[in-house]
Amino acid sequence: MVTHRLEAHVLGEGDWIAATEICQLCSLDLGAVMELAELGVVAPREIPAGQWQIPATALPRLRVVGRLIQDLGVNVSGAALALELLEAQRELERRIRSLERLASDH
Amino acid sequence: MVPERAFTHCRGAQLRIANMEFRDYYKVLGVERAASADQIKTAYRRLARKYHPDVSKEPNAEARFKEMQEAYEVLKDPEKRAAYNQLGANWKAGEQFRPPPDWGSGFEFSGGAGRPGGGSRGAGRAGRSRAGAAEDGAFQDQDFSDFFSSLFGGGTPFASAGRGAGRSAGRDHHARVGIELEEAYRGTTRTLELRRPEVKPDGSVELRTHTVRVTIPAGVTEGQLIRLAGQGEPPSGAGQAGDLYLEVHLQPHRLFQLEGRDVTLTFPVAPWEAALGASVTVPTLGGAVEMHIPAGAQSGQKLRLRGRGLPGQPAGDQYLQLKVVLPPANTPQAKALYEEMRSQLNFDPRANLSR
Repeated sequence: MVTHRLEAHVLGEGDWIAATEICQLCSLDLGAVMELAELGVVAPREIPAGQWQIPATALPRLRVVGRLIQDLGVNVSGAALALELLEAQRELERRIRSLERLASDH
Repeated sequence: MVPERAFTHCRGAQLRIANMEFRDYYKVLGVERAASADQIKTAYRRLARKYHPDVSKEPNAEARFKEMQEAYEVLKDPEKRAAYNQLGANWKAGEQFRPPPDWGSGFEFSGGAGRPGGGSRGAGRAGRSRAGAAEDGAFQDQDFSDFFSSLFGGGTPFASAGRGAGRSAGRDHHARVGIELEEAYRGTTRTLELRRPEVKPDGSVELRTHTVRVTIPAGVTEGQLIRLAGQGEPPSGAGQAGDLYLEVHLQPHRLFQLEGRDVTLTFPVAPWEAALGASVTVPTLGGAVEMHIPAGAQSGQKLRLRGRGLPGQPAGDQYLQLKVVLPPANTPQAKALYEEMRSQLNFDPRANLSR
């Protein structure tokens, strides 16, 4: 079996992605991305020619929002609220696990 | 190591797949065969809230959710549901199944972006390459079962009816890739099996697996996307192939807890190490390092090893959360030492309570 070797490009710090591409990657429409910007979930920048770009570091959060909207039928502000509550819940769970490790015998 | 599997979209002629197991989509959604469209939607939404991988803590949530998406993809669409119903009510989930030879004949397809199931979630939303959720009228079956692919995937009338006319560029595909924390620190490689349709001389299409080896650079973090240009859906004409995106999921680690690029290690120390200070050997993702515990350290105190977290700009840090562990008083010598401390130390651990 032939195995091809591929170089991967990680979308991360320093990468800015066009709002239209963000829409494709996160299953969001442009209006939803702008609404998320107004809600403070993402901070886009405007480049000449009236185009918007989004930092690639925002992708994981925006993809969660996109999935929540598509799969659960919630609206943009509902998905943004769910995202923030999920993040707060994970942070609390992380702190609880950390305290449990301190308290445990092992 | 077993290669991760990503699935490319199938298109063209009839897809041939060997034996597969029947899936009872009504049972998956927990509805009767006579359920109304609203009842099916309600059942799906209720189960989706329980098993959605971004929300759920249920075991196997992701696998269950994919089953539900697949079932809903069929049952929400009157054409697919009617065709599925024609298979009959006597099939049992898990039973060996082959599609009937005349599968798909006798149906009229509405086609285009307005076909049932495609427009129900609002117009103008971008196409989605994750399984079964494209919004431009053409569903994607990359993550669905062989059962689904053989009945409704590429190469079947159900798929071709949903394609927009004149589109030639291939769609992007998405897959998840699980990575150990050490691999994220050092960089790693993954072997992916991509299943793609290949046209045989007789015009039929077979799924062929080809293997690609992907180099994943050091410093990837949870949820990050890795783009493999041109490895998504092949173009139908002269257009460009789609890209394949891998979404990174870091596996929980036995010792280290990850937060962004920082890692935390709960680090046990003896009472005398905490009280007097000590040089200790500390495991890090990059290997063991020597570190000094300052005198007077307390349980719960955090010490930082700068730049010892995941690589990046800037690199993350490693934190040690100290945990003072008492030696057991289970020998005469140990008991004698504790008794000596009791008599020699003027220490009241409950001094704050009596203020």
